[in-house]
Amino acid sequence: MIAKTKKVADYKKLSTELPTLRYVDPERVYLSLNTDRAKQYSVNVETGDYVKLGQIIGERDGGFFKQPIYSTVSGKVEGFQKKMHPSGMEVDVVVVQNDFKDEYHETITDRPESVIEKMSREEIIDVIKDKAIVGLGGSGFPTYIKLNTDENIDTVIINAVECEPYLSSDYRLIKDQPDDIFKGLKYVMQAMSASQGVIAVKKTKTELIEVLENELRRFKDSNIKIAKLDDYYPQGWEVETIKNALGIKVPSGKLPMEYGVLNINVSTTAAIFEALKHNLPITKRHITINGDAIKFPQNIRTRIGASIKDLIKLSDGFIDEADKIDLIIGGPMMGKSVTTDDVLVNQTVTSVLALKSVETYEEPCVRCGSCVFSCPVDIQPVNIMNAYKRGDKQALENLEVDKCIECGLCAYVCTSKIHLTDYMRKGKNFLR
Amino acid sequence: MEIIQKSAPHLRKPNASVVRMMSDVAIALSPLVIFAIYQHGMSAFWILLVSVLSMVGTEYLYYQIIDKMNGEKFKLNNKSFTIYNFSVVVSGLIYGLTLSDRVSLVVVAIGGIVGVFLAKLIFGGMGQNIFNIAAFARVFVVLSFGGAIAYDTFVDSDVGATVLGLLSADMFDASVTEHYSYWTMFSGIGLPGSLGETSALLILVGGLYLFLRKSFDIFVPLTYVGTVFVLSLAVMLTNDAGWWFPITHIIGGGLLFGAIFMATDPITQPTTRPGRIYFAFGLGVITFIIRIFGDLPEGVVFAILIMNMFVPAIDYHKWARNKFTFRSATIFSLVVIVTIILTVVGVNYVG
Repeated sequence: MIAKTKKVADYKKLSTELPTLRYVDPERVYLSLNTDRAKQYSVNVETGDYVKLGQIIGERDGGFFKQPIYSTVSGKVEGFQKKMHPSGMEVDVVVVQNDFKDEYHETITDRPESVIEKMSREEIIDVIKDKAIVGLGGSGFPTYIKLNTDENIDTVIINAVECEPYLSSDYRLIKDQPDDIFKGLKYVMQAMSASQGVIAVKKTKTELIEVLENELRRFKDSNIKIAKLDDYYPQGWEVETIKNALGIKVPSGKLPMEYGVLNINVSTTAAIFEALKHNLPITKRHITINGDAIKFPQNIRTRIGASIKDLIKLSDGFIDEADKIDLIIGGPMMGKSVTTDDVLVNQTVTSVLALKSVETYEEPCVRCGSCVFSCPVDIQPVNIMNAYKRGDKQALENLEVDKCIECGLCAYVCTSKIHLTDYMRKGKNFLR
Repeated sequence: MEIIQKSAPHLRKPNASVVRMMSDVAIALSPLVIFAIYQHGMSAFWILLVSVLSMVGTEYLYYQIIDKMNGEKFKLNNKSFTIYNFSVVVSGLIYGLTLSDRVSLVVVAIGGIVGVFLAKLIFGGMGQNIFNIAAFARVFVVLSFGGAIAYDTFVDSDVGATVLGLLSADMFDASVTEHYSYWTMFSGIGLPGSLGETSALLILVGGLYLFLRKSFDIFVPLTYVGTVFVLSLAVMLTNDAGWWFPITHIIGGGLLFGAIFMATDPITQPTTRPGRIYFAFGLGVITFIIRIFGDLPEGVVFAILIMNMFVPAIDYHKWARNKFTFRSATIFSLVVIVTIILTVVGVNYVG
């Protein structure tokens, strides 16, 4: 109530202990050509062509970066159509029919450890760029741009905090492939010539810590540490993670790189490992299907390009009594709500949640101050809301609405159930 | 089945609601209500009933008239009416508890009607009011019907003067503890005063409940009472008055009731933690200054109304920040020190 709220009810028990459902191979995959980040594209396949797994079928152009598009299955190109992207945008897709043979393209060859050890920074970054590795935590930002920083990096921090409620895909990834993460981290450290690596996990996830510590014995000489962080929201926000794991405070408006820290999501690290070791682009990822409107919550490892509809069908669909549901891609605090389940899976989909839609009754603000106390960036949501309602630009600037990271805590804690986060977004747009 | 589009966050804290917060205050007040009826008999019951009903009724009527003017159909259950979240009931109860048991019921009703109308409804209803409704109604009654309300200065020969009434006549009258033992002041049994303010024990129980349920901001009562304590301690030390002086100032009057139930009304508070501490500090200073230098024996409600006016200024976007900075903490500590010095100088050389 009128107090600082740091914990968010997390509902992770529903899915963390479930084994990952593997080899969920869709009959056809929908590979998005343009995305919310890259609007232009070119295609070099036609309907009827046979493509192999890992074959380049086109190229996206995002203005400041170019990104090859890979096929994630082998099979025949069925055609081109429009489909909903997880960002909520209609995009052009290539439909490839899966022949379930997984025929690899000629370029997909393993690199021996001895070769990787001798790779220079440029070579490693080139591979990451060629294989179109992006931030898999949800941002989708090209990783090679991040690695290409001019700053001197001495610490690489792997963010495995996963602080959003309901999510367990990173949890399952670490449990399933801890080795990949350590090796991926080692490669990144090699590329950045960083002296130490840190894997940040929540203190409360004792099983994960056990797995990681077991694995750590094999990487004793790599100067890798495991940072056990407190369980609260938004611990996974990079500024908060870096502060608690390393004690470095990154002020708002600065990049962690300027402080010698490179922050990478744990699934991105696994993808970097696959790119360097097997020369593979991102073809599969862990996805959590969860929520109180899903019959059987699951962790699924599936192909990029699968349809969310199929994944929900695998979880036995929605429960019958729910007549209104929220379908969310990503976590419940920051995730994107979509209007249809006919959405493709891209690299950044960490989870699909179906929650029973609860109508909240919005009461007048009683100025209890919970939002002010809980805000992780120390701004005053209630006063920003009032300033926005008055149309007061000066006040919005003084109240530093631009600092807001839209973590959703203010609306979560609100005594009057006011959608404050929405007002924060409106306030930011108003200043622009 | 239908898929709804909403914007993030999709989760809301389950146990945060205005209804819970306001009903918690009502629950915390209930021992005081029972104690008031036990102590003063049916007259207390009628006063509390009239104070609540006058506020609830005025609000109900007001919203019915507004709806009528907007051309809406008459509905028995009005949508803007806030009785479902207890806020107006709580205001009415607090207002009733600040009155003495000798006030005529007509005066109680007039105070309730005027209070809720002028302090709440014309500002736009719940969440919009600038002044604490109960404090406003109480002050309205005191100023308009001073004789009828039998305020603390009105020495009643049967019961005797209130603790602060005695102190008002002579600030360092140590005999006050002979009139009323500490236990009487703490438990409130047999202590004259307003209906709800006498029993420090039950007020603290209510405060503890609100604290455990996190339904109020504990920093406000702590700072408020702490400020009065520090100021009275400073006066005590410079006048060798003895420990009875700060103790009677804290448990002898309406301070605890005002600090726990009236100053913590979230609507009329600043929103930031430092802001609330400045606010409560101001309350403490004004309360103490009215008690020592003013003509009235008691200053809690006036202090609350005066500080309510400064809330927008404390919350002003140019300087309101969520946390103390080095600069604001330094300035605030300087202000505290200067206030203590001024109070001591005032008591010794002016008052």
